Amino acid sequence: MIRFEHAGLRYGIGPEILSDISFTLDPGSFHFLTGPSGAGKTSLLSLMYLGRKPTRGLVSMFGQNINGMTRSQLAPLRQRIGVVFQDFRLLQHLSAFDNVALPLRIQGRPEKEVRNNVQELLEWVGLGDQLRALPSTMSGGQQQRVAIARAVITRPRLLLADEPTGNLDDEIGYRLLNLFDQLNRMGTTIVIATHNQRLMERFGHPRLVLDKGNLQVQPQVNWLRRKIEGIF
Amino acid sequence: MARVEKTVGTSQGKRLYDLPLNRDEGTGFLILLIALMSLLAVLAIAASFTLSAMTERWTSGLENRITIEIPAEGTDGRILGRDEVTALSDRALQILKSTPSVHTAHMLDESELTALVKPWLGSGLSFSGIPLPSLIAVTLSDAENTDMRALEEKIISAIPQARIDTHETWLNDLLRFTKSLRLVSAILLVVIGITTATAVAGAIRSRMAVHAEEISLLHLMGASDNYISRQFQHNAFVLALRGSATGTAAGILTLLLIGWISGQMGANLLPEFHLGIANMLAIAALPFLAAALAALTSRQTVHRALKDMP
Ligand SMILES: Nc1ncnc2c1ncn2[C@@H]1O[C@H](COP(=O)(O)OP(=O)(O)OP(=O)(O)O)[C@@H](O)[C@H]1O
Ligand SMILES: [Mg+2]
Repeated sequence: MIRFEHAGLRYGIGPEILSDISFTLDPGSFHFLTGPSGAGKTSLLSLMYLGRKPTRGLVSMFGQNINGMTRSQLAPLRQRIGVVFQDFRLLQHLSAFDNVALPLRIQGRPEKEVRNNVQELLEWVGLGDQLRALPSTMSGGQQQRVAIARAVITRPRLLLADEPTGNLDDEIGYRLLNLFDQLNRMGTTIVIATHNQRLMERFGHPRLVLDKGNLQVQPQVNWLRRKIEGIF
Repeated sequence: MARVEKTVGTSQGKRLYDLPLNRDEGTGFLILLIALMSLLAVLAIAASFTLSAMTERWTSGLENRITIEIPAEGTDGRILGRDEVTALSDRALQILKSTPSVHTAHMLDESELTALVKPWLGSGLSFSGIPLPSLIAVTLSDAENTDMRALEEKIISAIPQARIDTHETWLNDLLRFTKSLRLVSAILLVVIGITTATAVAGAIRSRMAVHAEEISLLHLMGASDNYISRQFQHNAFVLALRGSATGTAAGILTLLLIGWISGQMGANLLPEFHLGIANMLAIAALPFLAAALAALTSRQTVHRALKDMP
């Protein structure tokens, strides 16, 4: 699904933010991406959501090397990826409804399907009464839920979320993580960047730990506990 | 709030653009510019049509007509008497009538001459004391296949002082003149088109800069270049249609006003704006042409700008 080989990234002529990153994520896996602030989590995600190309090394997504791909070749790959941005990046002039509907419309889905799915999902994340609200009139947590809804509305093959629960209390945070889990069980590969230790421990997925531009993969530490939780 | 719902789009659909194009600064300026350009275009088109109609009217039938003037003055400078001039004219008439391609030839009598010079000299004039030249109006059955030179030589050899006016010279001058005027209006139309396209392209580029963030987001969601350019295209089409329709309407009003003024002045000096159905249709098509031009330009501009995105 995702394969990095000795990938590096620098912005302009600055220092290398990511250096020599190598890892592979299998289809259907669920990983947390963690590390201190400024370690490069957002930068690494931007390589995965095809927002940038690595300045060295190889990045392969869905089995395709993206380095040599043209913009028009990247578009269909991008449609298979849902992203929750750290700063949400909602379109300020569009209502919550239209923001969430955007990926479906880009994919040319029929308007009837758009209407039903978007309404249902927004109700599910607790924004059923905010369909027509503009982002500027919503709280940070509400905007974050709109951003998450927008990322999952197309049931992407790959979901990348950058601090998706940063503005949410644990209650709704768990609820949304459960949504991600559900998606994961239906086959979506998931990477979530987070600082939230409690969350990571509760869900127990393996971690990608970034530090000083290097990446370490930590296997699932408490898979046993998770198994037990799953039984009851 | 009601206004917001209308422009923003709601769960009921009816959302126009993903980008807030219909609220951008500078939209009014672009509409105004397109309106003014359309007004200019209407005037240029009307001028061109009028010139065509004018040349048509001036030249129709003229090519089949020649005039032969026999001056009341001999080759030696002696003033000829009335009878002598008439005798010479008769000789010319004889030659003409024996020429197969001459359809009619007829000498203008005194009353016809009077009518001819009336606009310049006024009525109530008597020619009795003045030595008058004689004018013969000739119509040819087939001007194109007539050897003018041979006919001219035949008459000159018989009547050396005869002047033959085939209308060709001044007709050619006139045609050349109107042709260059029409070229000017064609160039004007091209310049108007280029100006409009340049203004649209500039507006699109600045909008893309303003909305760079949103565009890159659409992009990351997998929007194709066409998806993005469609929005600009549609917006430009609507703006140009609105601006150009206004400008075209103003142009037509201007034409009517000019027609009315020239009618009021009673002057035949100003050519009337004579516009037929085809001409009207051409002018009515202008807003759509402008809209198509704007849409095409914005499409090109967007695609070119998107090439630089990752
Ligand atoms: N667009 C950019 N241009 C230049 N430098 C950048 C850019 N984006 C990030 N950086 C730099 O890259 C480094 C890593 O940033 P990044 O946002 O990836 O970290 P992060 O791990 O996501 O941090 P946080 O936990 O605070 O979100 C930082 O030093 C930052 O200054
Ligand atoms: Mg970050």
